[in-house]
Amino acid sequence: MSASLYTTRRIKNVLAMILSVAATGIGLLFLAWILWETLSQGIAGLKPALFTKITAYREEGGLANAMVGSLILNVIGILIATPIGVMAGTWLAEYSRRSRLGPTIRFLNDILLSAPSIVLGLFVYTIIVLPSQWLTNGDVTFSGIAGGIALALIALPVIVRTTDEMLRLVPGTLREAALSLGVPQWKLTVQILIRAARSGIVTGVLLALARISGETAPLLLTAFGNNFMTFNPLDKMPSLPQVIYDYTKDPSPDINTLAWAGAFVLTMFVLALSLVARFVFSRSKVSHD
Amino acid sequence: MTNMNEVASKPGFGTSPHESGVDLGQVPAKMTVRDLNFHYGEFHALKSIAMDVPEKKVTAIIGPSGCGKSTLLRIFNRIYAIYPSLRASGEIVLDGENILDPKYSLNRLRSKVGMVFQKPVPFPMTIFENVAYGIRHHEKLNRTDMEGRVEQALRGAALWDEVKDKLKQSALGLSGGQQQRLCIARGIALKPEVLLLDEPTSALDPIATSRIEQLVEELKSQFTIVIVTHNMQQAARCSDMTAFMYMGELIEFDRTEKIFTKPNKKQTEDYITGRFG
Repeated sequence: MSASLYTTRRIKNVLAMILSVAATGIGLLFLAWILWETLSQGIAGLKPALFTKITAYREEGGLANAMVGSLILNVIGILIATPIGVMAGTWLAEYSRRSRLGPTIRFLNDILLSAPSIVLGLFVYTIIVLPSQWLTNGDVTFSGIAGGIALALIALPVIVRTTDEMLRLVPGTLREAALSLGVPQWKLTVQILIRAARSGIVTGVLLALARISGETAPLLLTAFGNNFMTFNPLDKMPSLPQVIYDYTKDPSPDINTLAWAGAFVLTMFVLALSLVARFVFSRSKVSHD
Repeated sequence: MTNMNEVASKPGFGTSPHESGVDLGQVPAKMTVRDLNFHYGEFHALKSIAMDVPEKKVTAIIGPSGCGKSTLLRIFNRIYAIYPSLRASGEIVLDGENILDPKYSLNRLRSKVGMVFQKPVPFPMTIFENVAYGIRHHEKLNRTDMEGRVEQALRGAALWDEVKDKLKQSALGLSGGQQQRLCIARGIALKPEVLLLDEPTSALDPIATSRIEQLVEELKSQFTIVIVTHNMQQAARCSDMTAFMYMGELIEFDRTEKIFTKPNKKQTEDYITGRFG
């Protein structure tokens, strides 16, 4: 009786194990495939010129201006999104307990989180790019700033959400302990809670950065692109994902190879960011034990 | 109800009748609880509690889980007030003033009444900063004075010798027992008059527990201590007065020795002899 019960359980266990391993295997297979494909196709384009020459030289050029542009756009996006996101997340976690506004804002933030990025690009195009025409006597003013703002709108909900969640993971006893010393709420929040949740929040910012560094659609209508090197955020600004997009459509195989090389660099950048994020987060876990 | 002036002029246990009718010799009451009721939303958690907490003595609050002992303790520094829909009514008179009066400043109350919690909760900063943090909020001290105060507090909590060489290290690296003594140091660093201990040893091993109990014994010369414990032996070992609570009521409050040898109430006797709870 019981022997047969155990046998059935064992069989179910083995079956569940096989299915889980198979599912994991499928996921990992595609990841490995993507990495292999980008590497093998892009390796021909991985030359020093890739990092030193600009896109204006086409086949003889590189992607230096696109990389620099991407960096500037990402930095603008993160600089705008981080303070707003951390503050909004802090409000949600620490101050919205007694109001109904909290859950509502959390819900709206989740909607923003899943908003199509082209819509956000269009939004920035409408509220920033078009209205600023009157400053320039009618020229359409695509700019790095506009691109950065579009990216910030994508990073913002990610940062709000992680800050909110990380702060809510901080045990309530820590709040009680600080408040029982007579410390006011704002000091508790800034000096103790944010510090306790710091590594989680930094992880959120890094993941948001990884997320926006691959965005193409919102940049088409805002930063526009540029074949020359520019450091001026008021100029039209090139970006790596956008160049990859353009170069993939190009009939010239050499240009296609450059697109693959760019894709490889971008993938490595995102991978490195994720690893740094993991490292930051795992270190925090050790110190909390 | 007695007014404030009358309370302030009350000399102490020996000379006038008290709410709880307990005679403690000449020890004056540090805190007097009168007709205290407490609600968690609709739930009536504490029912007309009245007791005197004697000055510079250890008062233990015992009782089965859910009897309201922690709730009572958490009213003494109004830490309950951070949660919505919790209400306390009645009076708790500390040095002649009702601390439940909304006009009584929380800042002042919490500098006079310190609290240590069940689980050790060091702040995510260095050992030194953990102790200095609270002091810095209430007083402006120069570096030397601050170092002196931190050392004094750590010595007071019997932790100095173990941490004096690693004050700049994170407090999160200390053992559970050390962290709990750090929390006591953090509490006494503010030089409070009353120290509330909410099951301070329930997360600790026996050796760390006996160190804390020893510490309680030493601290009572300077502070009025109220300790909530679910461990009856602990109450018997380290308190002077014991309050037994059951279902939100204060069943009996008397000298510890009396509670554990000749309790007046049947319920108290049943509880301390292990017949329920």
